[in-house]
Amino acid sequence: MPRTLRQALIVCRKELKDSLRDRRALLSIVFSVVIGPVLIGFMMNRIADRQREANTVVIPIVGLNRAPALVNWLNQQSGVQVVSGPTEAEKAVREQREAVVVVVPEDFAERFRASRPAPLQVVADSSRQDVQPSVQRVKALLQQYAAEISSLRLIVRGVSPTAVRPLDIDEIEVSTAQQRAAQILTFIPMFIMVAGFVGGMQIATDSTAGERERGSLEPLLVNPAPRIAFVAGKWMAATLAAIVSVCLTTALCAQLTRLLPLQDMGIRLSIGFEHVGPILLAVAPMCLFTAALQETVATLARSFKEAQTYMGVLILGPMLPGVMSALYPLGNAAWTYAVPMLGPYVLLTDVLGGRLPGATAFVTSALTCLVASAILIRITTSLFRSEQIVFGR
Amino acid sequence: MLKITDARKRFGSVTAVDGVSFIARDGAITGLLGPNGAGKTTTLRMLYAVMKPDSGQVQVDDVDAVASPQAAQARLGVLPDGFGLYPRLTAREHLEYFGELQGIEPARLTTRSEQLLDLLDMRAIADRRTSGFSHGERTKVALARALVHDPQNVLLDEPTNGLDVMSTRAVRAIVRRLRDEGRCVLFSSHVMQEVSALCDSIVVIASGRVVAHGTPDDLRQHTGFENLEDAFVSLAGLEHGVHD
Repeated sequence: MPRTLRQALIVCRKELKDSLRDRRALLSIVFSVVIGPVLIGFMMNRIADRQREANTVVIPIVGLNRAPALVNWLNQQSGVQVVSGPTEAEKAVREQREAVVVVVPEDFAERFRASRPAPLQVVADSSRQDVQPSVQRVKALLQQYAAEISSLRLIVRGVSPTAVRPLDIDEIEVSTAQQRAAQILTFIPMFIMVAGFVGGMQIATDSTAGERERGSLEPLLVNPAPRIAFVAGKWMAATLAAIVSVCLTTALCAQLTRLLPLQDMGIRLSIGFEHVGPILLAVAPMCLFTAALQETVATLARSFKEAQTYMGVLILGPMLPGVMSALYPLGNAAWTYAVPMLGPYVLLTDVLGGRLPGATAFVTSALTCLVASAILIRITTSLFRSEQIVFGR
Repeated sequence: MLKITDARKRFGSVTAVDGVSFIARDGAITGLLGPNGAGKTTTLRMLYAVMKPDSGQVQVDDVDAVASPQAAQARLGVLPDGFGLYPRLTAREHLEYFGELQGIEPARLTTRSEQLLDLLDMRAIADRRTSGFSHGERTKVALARALVHDPQNVLLDEPTNGLDVMSTRAVRAIVRRLRDEGRCVLFSSHVMQEVSALCDSIVVIASGRVVAHGTPDDLRQHTGFENLEDAFVSLAGLEHGVHD
């Protein structure tokens, strides 16, 4: 093994050992790894809960005995349970004791029998987002009942019900719940990338800006090793930590997609064993790049505090593609793979979406990250040669 | 052997070292004496090849430290100003880290570490993390780390600064021992007593220049002061007046 590489590995091993003993740093990494999956799980569960609530809807009806046929029909529908409504329907809805109340007025039966439009009141609060599925469900049920009755009346009068159905509307339902759930899942690639960024951050800053601030950089540089051995060793340590964070977050997300009732929401997404390889192929080159970038920036910073401030800005990097793609659909144009943060993101969304990108896409993205890392390491090495940088300004 | 010839170093508009020349020989303790800000640390940094002089030569044994800094550093043991220890590593791990970087084989590194732990009386603290160490204990770790590769030349930047009496004595004992082993020891101080108690040869530096160079007796004779401290004050105060 060449001497420089051996020295780089010695530095790498020391930095890993050192950071494993830094309890605060470890906690921040664990937090960054866990926070994404936990947030997704929490939000998805709430959406699923609401979806289930809408599926089994309880309809309070005021004046049950005025429309026994309607009540009968409703009770026969699956997931519907009719109960006696509260005396003051509007007050009950306003005070959020009920999501929706159906009121059958006194003249309902009389008008119904005379084939005149029979009045029904659906009392609901449209400002309450959380009960909209239930309200929609109730309205849809009532409309369905009305349609059935009108068909029956036409048949009795010898008219084909199709004659009064000029349009045959086939509604393809993409319910809001599904949309929201799918949107939340698009955050998974972003969380994986952020974990990769944060995972390497501590080592990258502590081993450069921190090392100088502690005064241990000077004795370190007195060792007979080329500067690039120190820079590369610290970079390798930060990269390894980043990749470990990526693996942990991916494993958590995989576990999550198995636990969540995604099937109930009509979403097909599962991160299986076969995805681990492509995910790492997509993100590992990004870890090389972000670790190199963090190292350069932290070396340039005048103090450890300043380095941390810069990291707070840099973290927008892995978040940007996720946010951008929500606003402008990127597709997968070839050029996107040749942009350091964007390439890994597009690859990740493809892999998680069940479309395995071609080898060229992976190679383009990896090469871009590698070239960018090599340039950054050269820059950091020349910074490590600068007396102004090493001894502070 | 350490040799620096007409070295100059400027930082912006400040001239830190303005033509320093001296030789520190093997088997001798050379003291670099000067008030704070005289250019001692910059001179040492050029000697241990982490700073390049703007002009002038630096030689470690027969190696040109400006042209091949790493070859020079392999022959140097350095205790820099402010030891720079890793708070989360143990004393022993400090020796191992630097020993490995110096390229010492694992078996020899273990024996050498044990030797140094005994020599500096560090057995009790060997496997403790350095974060809670006293000043004296930290000095020992930094000193042991500097000596782990058995260097011919040893540079110590203010090693006894802020040490209590017992620790100072321990450091002095080590320094004498290194001399008796035939090594070249160069150490800087701004404390007259420190230098006069220990050194075979003294280089007095003020405002980036060498204002006197010789044995303690030479200096007394040179300045006409019987007391070495008076000699120092006179030499340092002369600034540009005397050229050796």
